[in-house]
Amino acid sequence: MIKFEHVGLRYGVGPEVLSDIDFTLEPGSFHFLTGPSGAGKTSLMSLMYLGRKPTRGLVTMFGRSINKMERPQLSAIRQRIGVVFQEFRLLPHLSAFDNVALPLRILGRPEKEIRSNVTELLEWVGLGDHKMMLPPTMSGGQQQRTAIARAVIARPKLLLADEPTGNLDDEIGFRLMTLFEQLNRMGTTIVIATHSQTIMDQFGHPRLVLEHGGLRVEEPKNWIRRKIEGVF
Amino acid sequence: MNILNSLFRTKDKQLGVAERGRRYDLPLNKSAGTGFLILLVALMTFLAVMALGASFTLGEMAQRWASGLENRLTVEIPAEITGGALRSPSDIAYLSEKTAEALKADPAVETVEIMGEADVQALISPWLGEDLSFEGLPLPGLISVKMRIGTPEAIERLRHTLKGINQDIHLDAHESWLKDLLRLTGALKFAAAAITLIIALTTIAAIAGAVRSRMAEHKADVELLHLMGASDLYITRQFQRHALILALRGALAGTAAGGLALLLIGLSAGNGGDTGLLPNLHLGTKHVLTLILLPCAACLIASLAARFTVLRVLALMP
Ligand SMILES: Nc1ncnc2c1ncn2[C@@H]1O[C@H](COP(=O)(O)OP(=O)(O)O)[C@@H](O)[C@H]1O
Ligand SMILES: [Mg+2]
Repeated sequence: MIKFEHVGLRYGVGPEVLSDIDFTLEPGSFHFLTGPSGAGKTSLMSLMYLGRKPTRGLVTMFGRSINKMERPQLSAIRQRIGVVFQEFRLLPHLSAFDNVALPLRILGRPEKEIRSNVTELLEWVGLGDHKMMLPPTMSGGQQQRTAIARAVIARPKLLLADEPTGNLDDEIGFRLMTLFEQLNRMGTTIVIATHSQTIMDQFGHPRLVLEHGGLRVEEPKNWIRRKIEGVF
Repeated sequence: MNILNSLFRTKDKQLGVAERGRRYDLPLNKSAGTGFLILLVALMTFLAVMALGASFTLGEMAQRWASGLENRLTVEIPAEITGGALRSPSDIAYLSEKTAEALKADPAVETVEIMGEADVQALISPWLGEDLSFEGLPLPGLISVKMRIGTPEAIERLRHTLKGINQDIHLDAHESWLKDLLRLTGALKFAAAAITLIIALTTIAAIAGAVRSRMAEHKADVELLHLMGASDLYITRQFQRHALILALRGALAGTAAGGLALLLIGLSAGNGGDTGLLPNLHLGTKHVLTLILLPCAACLIASLAARFTVLRVLALMP
């Protein structure tokens, strides 16, 4: 699904924010991306959603190298990726409904299908009564839920969420995590950047840990324990 | 209660319409300078209507002059013999008769008319002044000729015939001043075309500039659409539609004003009298066609300008 080989990224003439990143994510996997603030989680995400090109190294997405890809092919790949941005990035003049509908409209889906799907999902994330609300009038949590709904509405093959539960109370945060789990069971590959220890412990998925510009993969403790228990 | 109900129902309906009528992902119509741009397109279209209207009228005029004079010649038997001596009136009358007969014999000639003394005096008097007497003034003999076909060869043949009668006889085919007139109207038509071209280029530059500033204004949103996998065409459509609507509004206003102005000019100029020199200044077919086609052209220009500008800016995104 995703393969990074010796990937490095620097902003302008600054130091390398990411250096020698090497990892492979299998289709259908679920990973947490963690690390201290400023470690480069958002930067790594932006490489994965094709928001910028690496300064060095090879990035392969959906089995194809993005370094040699033409614009139309890049658009096609982006359409298969759902992103929850750390700062949401909702279109401020569009209602919650129209924001969530955007990926379907980009895909050219019929308006009737859009209406029913978007309404259903908005109700599911608890925004059924705020369909016509504009982002600037929403609370942080409402914006985050709108952003999550927009990221998953088109059933992406890959979902990238950058601290998607940061503004949510535990209950709604847990509810949205189960939404991601459901999507994952339906085949979506998921990467969630977080530094919430509680969430990572609650859902035992492998972790990509960013530190000092490098990346290492950690199997979760309870995951290992479960494996050991399975063996004996 | 009923009133409240119906009030809410209309409100619901309006919300529904707003949702269905959602034309823009980007709020381009709310950008500053939209009104100014519409005004600019309106002014440009107005100027284009004027320039093209003038061009067509000039063309029509030139054609009238040309067709009115092309087949007419004037033959002059000068009152003065080369060398300075005066020709006697009887000599002039004799030469006129001879010349007229020679002309009638030519197959290209339709009618020949020797102008009487009174006619000649009437022609010359504007140059001499009303109060001057013609008593004793040597008058040339003039013969008016209408050709069936005024080809250069036929005219050359007539010249040759006339030279055989008398070296002094002069044939005026009105060529030189007709040529000057046609050259003048041609130059004016060219100027009108150049002005129209400049108007089109100005409109393109204005639309392209406006699209650029709107893209800068909505850079974050455009980038977001791009990241969500919107194709260049999807994003371009937003701007193109905006430019199209804007140009249509401006062009309709400008064309309406221009058409009205042409109509008023036509009315105030009257029907050109019977001189045959001025055409009727009513709106001809070409004018009406222009009025219909100009808004279409403005929309096409605006939407193409928007399209290429957006595509150029998008090409810079990763
Ligand atoms: N657009 C940018 N331009 C320059 N430096 C940036 C930019 N975005 C992030 N950085 C820098 O890159 C480093 C990693 O940032 P980021 O990826 O946001 O980390 P995290 O998401 O883990 O907090 C930080 O030092 C930050 O200052
Ligand atoms: Mg971050």
